[in-house]
Amino acid sequence: MFSRVLAVSIMIVALSLVGLPALAADNCQTCHFEFEDEDGASHKFVRDIHGQKGLGCVDCHGGDPSLDDMDEVRREKDYRGVPSHLEVPRFCARCHSDAAYMHEYNPSLPTDQLEKYKTSVHGQRLFNNRDDKVANCISCHTVHEIGDAKMPHSSTHPVNLIATCGKCHSDADYMAGYGIGTGQVDDYVVSVHGVALLERNDLGAPACNDCHGNHGAAPPGVTSLSAVCGNCHAIEAGLFNTSPHEPAFAANDFPMCETCHSNHKILKPDDSMVGTHHEAVCAECHASDDGTRAFAIAGTISEALSRLVTAHGQAGEVLSEAIEKGMMTTDEEFRFKEVDQALIQARTMVHAFDADSVLSRTGPGILKADSVRVNSAALIDEYHFRRKGLGFATLFITILVVALYIKIRRIDRGLNE
Amino acid sequence: MAPIKSSRRGFLEVILGGGVLATLGAVVYPVIRYIIPPAAGEAKLSQLKLPFTRADIEADPKKAKYFKYGRNLGIIYLTEKNELRALAATCTHLDCTVQHRPDLGIIWCSCHNGRYDLDGNNISGPPPRPLERYAVKETDDVILVSRENA
Repeated sequence: MFSRVLAVSIMIVALSLVGLPALAADNCQTCHFEFEDEDGASHKFVRDIHGQKGLGCVDCHGGDPSLDDMDEVRREKDYRGVPSHLEVPRFCARCHSDAAYMHEYNPSLPTDQLEKYKTSVHGQRLFNNRDDKVANCISCHTVHEIGDAKMPHSSTHPVNLIATCGKCHSDADYMAGYGIGTGQVDDYVVSVHGVALLERNDLGAPACNDCHGNHGAAPPGVTSLSAVCGNCHAIEAGLFNTSPHEPAFAANDFPMCETCHSNHKILKPDDSMVGTHHEAVCAECHASDDGTRAFAIAGTISEALSRLVTAHGQAGEVLSEAIEKGMMTTDEEFRFKEVDQALIQARTMVHAFDADSVLSRTGPGILKADSVRVNSAALIDEYHFRRKGLGFATLFITILVVALYIKIRRIDRGLNE
Repeated sequence: MAPIKSSRRGFLEVILGGGVLATLGAVVYPVIRYIIPPAAGEAKLSQLKLPFTRADIEADPKKAKYFKYGRNLGIIYLTEKNELRALAATCTHLDCTVQHRPDLGIIWCSCHNGRYDLDGNNISGPPPRPLERYAVKETDDVILVSRENA
């Protein structure tokens, strides 16, 4: 008995020290903390956003926290206990759909999660098919360790979200029977978005929820892809929508971005995607005898890009050498940024699938690149001129010193004679 | 022997005279090169006088002009309240050039639809941090731009 009182006392002091006075008065937390190990709900709850906001076990599970006998707690009329998998969404929505209640804790947090969830593939299967394998709230947010998505430890933080979704979606056994693949996460991690998010920690890169939605998670439809990808790639989407490809893709039910760029495994686009060679994406649909000008346009665009890339590379190489030699390259570095922009714009204009649009960017870009290359080469020449000048100056001064030495010796000798 | 001595001395005089001249040249030439400014000098980063006027900005369809600030690009634009504001024009996400969108009242990066408010704060899309803001001073027809924290 003494050890139990001591343990409870230590718990109360410890929780007071971590700033959780509400938990300290909570008998559920106090007792569970004593007999559960570190993976137990009561231990995890210290890190949970609900615990940090001062909520206790009773706020979700009901009962009376002043009671210390679990049987008495279970007899309480508002005791809700542990919800089943199918009950979880409404269990959480008891508070999270109550705008007035949520306003007390986080006025800016939306309260439509349940409504959105009902529209998701997960929600529809859970409510309509009583499928107790599909994700509910705790599948993604965890139980008793729920964190704000902005917190790095949160399971819904963008960097952690890939693994959170992958917990089910990468498990072939778990996903068996749903008729969808399980390679999405493997594909995503090598994609341009995955590398940006997971390797470069670029939180601006899209995670699963940015394309699929979070509470209303569903695959983007063929027609909504332009809006989904266009959220970030606005210019490309706009150009595509006014290009000859738009009606052709619509007529054939081709998803607009995905047809050329894939979906989860979107690799950094390469200029070789455009062109008439057999590896080019264009050649998958177009041929020289398909009755359109597409093949010729693809060839022109490819050649124009290639010329700009070459000019950009040559200019960059000469400029780097000038920088390395310590010359004043401010102007050329500034102009080279314009060449970078021209290359970005030309690659963007590819999505108009119109040769003139691309040429309107590559032409000036090549001229600027050539100008940077010539000016940087002149700076390197200037560097060599200075080096030679220094060599000559040193030689002149050495000769002068030697001549002066001889002259002084002569004068001395003349005076002595 | 005398002519040989005389020619040796003459040669020494030539070497001495030539050496003095060449040394003077080696000293004076870099000085002259230093005094004559290069064709386009580096911008004085503490304060930059823009090579255009408010009227030029007003005449622009996007009510904005770009300017070279050191080795960086800046953008100056007219707000709805007719104030001139200037920012670094390089997006903090992947270095694309941003543009003024008077129709939306924002600074916009077309590469990934990054959005900044007119103070340069990142408000939407991938940009991880605000654009650097420059101080703008207007006197008569002259616009001066400087780093705010300079």
